[in-house]
Amino acid sequence: MKRILSLILALVLLGSGFVFASGIPNHKAELVIGSAADINNLDPQGQSDQINNIVLKLTHQTLVFFTNEATFEPSLATSWEFRDDTHVVFHLVKNAKFSDGSPLTADDVKFTIDMAMKSYVANSLTGLISTSVIDPYTIEMKTTSYNNEFVQTFASVSFAILSKKAYASGMKQPYLVGSGPYKFDKWVQGEYVRVVKNPNYWGTNPGVSDAIVFKPIIEDSSRVIALQTGEIDVCINPPINELPFLQKDKNITVFERPGSRLFYFAFNVAKAPWNNQKLRQAVACAIDRKSVLEVAVSGKGTPQKTILNRGLWGFYDEMPGFNYDVARAKKLMAEAGYPNGGIRTSLLIANSSPYTGIAQVIQANLKAIGITVDIQTVDDATLKATSKSGTQELYLWRWNEDSMVDFVYRDLFYSGSGSNYHHYSDKKADALIDMVATEKDKAKRLQAGIDLQKYLVEACPQVPLYIANLVIAYNKNLKGEYLFGGGNHDWKNAYIAK
Amino acid sequence: MFRYILKRLLLMIPVILVTSLVIYFAMSLTGGDPAIYLAPENASDAQIQQIRVDLGLTESFPIRYLKYMAGMFRGNMGTSYVTKRDVFNTFMTRLPNTLQLAGASVLIATLIAIPLGIYTAIHQNTWKDTAGMIFALFGVSMPNFWLGLMLIILFSLKLGWLPSGGKTGLLSLVLPAMTVGLGLAALITRTTRSSMLDVIREDYIRTARAKGCSEKRVIRKHAMGNALIPIITVIGMQLSNVLTGSVLAETVFSWPGIGRLIFDSISKRDTPMVTGSIILCSVLMVAINLLVDVIYAFFDPRIKAQFMRKV
Repeated sequence: MKRILSLILALVLLGSGFVFASGIPNHKAELVIGSAADINNLDPQGQSDQINNIVLKLTHQTLVFFTNEATFEPSLATSWEFRDDTHVVFHLVKNAKFSDGSPLTADDVKFTIDMAMKSYVANSLTGLISTSVIDPYTIEMKTTSYNNEFVQTFASVSFAILSKKAYASGMKQPYLVGSGPYKFDKWVQGEYVRVVKNPNYWGTNPGVSDAIVFKPIIEDSSRVIALQTGEIDVCINPPINELPFLQKDKNITVFERPGSRLFYFAFNVAKAPWNNQKLRQAVACAIDRKSVLEVAVSGKGTPQKTILNRGLWGFYDEMPGFNYDVARAKKLMAEAGYPNGGIRTSLLIANSSPYTGIAQVIQANLKAIGITVDIQTVDDATLKATSKSGTQELYLWRWNEDSMVDFVYRDLFYSGSGSNYHHYSDKKADALIDMVATEKDKAKRLQAGIDLQKYLVEACPQVPLYIANLVIAYNKNLKGEYLFGGGNHDWKNAYIAK
Repeated sequence: MFRYILKRLLLMIPVILVTSLVIYFAMSLTGGDPAIYLAPENASDAQIQQIRVDLGLTESFPIRYLKYMAGMFRGNMGTSYVTKRDVFNTFMTRLPNTLQLAGASVLIATLIAIPLGIYTAIHQNTWKDTAGMIFALFGVSMPNFWLGLMLIILFSLKLGWLPSGGKTGLLSLVLPAMTVGLGLAALITRTTRSSMLDVIREDYIRTARAKGCSEKRVIRKHAMGNALIPIITVIGMQLSNVLTGSVLAETVFSWPGIGRLIFDSISKRDTPMVTGSIILCSVLMVAINLLVDVIYAFFDPRIKAQFMRKV
């Protein structure tokens, strides 16, 4: 009997040794992720959709890496220093390789950044003038002025380092060559993208799953069922109304945490009557954010007053702001010159969830203070074009940012900025935005950020409604996931444990 | 016959010209600027303008259209704004999927509908006829996406027999084809029934019966042949519809077909992809209609004789 027990024990130890000898836990070979959007372009500098970004995070690397706590850390750049206000030097890792086995050097970094400066993403390279190679592993960037978030810029997938050699070779899709732990295996457009482990990966963290497959399943219910049948292991953006079914399924985990996607109601402040600040404030007081949140996402989110995405550096939501108060709204209406209401306006919304529900609540809310709202439903492309042209009056939109505050302040509120659909222009706000971007004294910078948020809430070019929670459903055996509140998840260490 | 086919093929040229003009014009009328869609959220006005220049959107509508058509007649259908892939190649990679779905759906529909239509016609005004017509009414009334989801819940989630979506092999074709096919079957059943009812009241059918033909022979030999023309017409029309209009089924089952490609491209204002795909779909529809006409001749000697006279 003792002999048998010893034999069993030896076998068990041998087995566990086999599993952990390589440091890789026992896992299902393929991790299948069901996405809610189609993967349509995998050129880091030519795409802007989140799902493309998520795939590219596995195959490509950036100079620095954003964590899911709005901080950043070294990646291809081991360190960096400001030589002066306008010169930043990055020191690169010396053993990095692309998936084709060729070394990644400063030449590739210069090639990538130079190409980006001529591409659609150039506007994100705040103030960059030129890039020069100091030696194969050192690169210097020259900027017009100092910017606190300049280094973080290079954490964006748009600036993932591309292979100069691959572009020079004349290959068909040179942008698919990256230095990440996975490399592209197959991309069948409209069906799936499959990435496999990169045998030339240089880092210490080569991922676990042998392959990761992204399957676009656009229809929400179909995606949920595919998770329940085990055809996919992760269901991105499960519909809120299906969560109770998933929560009852013992094989599935429904994960929820505060997110960073801010939904807001906004004015075109360049157009009468919405150039009247008191009137905007009256509207802000008339909107019942709790009802909006309930109707939009069954309460899965957090109402907020400030314009900054929750979780970002300097987030401040303690200002008095404009809470739901119909009596105050009516008083502000009178101060604005509209004691009896009598305004008829139009609200432009996208024809997708959750905008219709939000618009209906707001329509009812504003009726109580004498504002009649006509809802105009259009697709995203039309909404953006109309709002940019400035012909809209009111609109509903969202902003998703989980890393850089300048991408919120400057993009949405700076005079003449590309996505300032409010058409808001204010010298004081511009000065505060510049101060947050350039002030080196941390305390002063933080105060400038708080002052800016208070100022913008009071100016009221938009009424922040709520931050939606991140909700995701997956196989209960999923391990190693690295989730971001805004949805830019990192799956490189994810696997299904066996 | 050959001249007739050639004539029909030549007719494709005006069809292509008119279709392309209408689609190009419609896409330019819709709100939404492709450059704004393609640009990052924080792009400056100058960058957006540069994208417009790169895409040739700053030129006037007639110039853009003429350039597009000139390219097309040289065999270049353009490059997608969004994916940067060749329009023709993208369409051709999706076409086999759509042909599979359309073929399987029409096959399922025909296998159900023709026997059922004949059966209900020869049992007119009995409970069997009523049951058949209730099925047809059910099939016509059911929304595709609802039926699709119900089939997924039953066959994938509850029974675990079939995959819920994607294109993973022959089994993955079953549910989308059933979803589209059941809807078509309803329509073809009704057409078959009414066509058969018209035919079996004809004098020559009465004569065949009077001469002692068995009922099976009367139906198969004398009635079916004559009743088939409207049925083939409906099947041909439905095949054309399925080829271009299975967006809902393709979406529910994540089937990578043409319908979804066009739908996605419209929402992204991908004009070259939309225009190219619709022109190719028009060519496909003309080809199917031509095929249907040729099949008429095969089944009906009177039509064949007309073709012969034309030749």
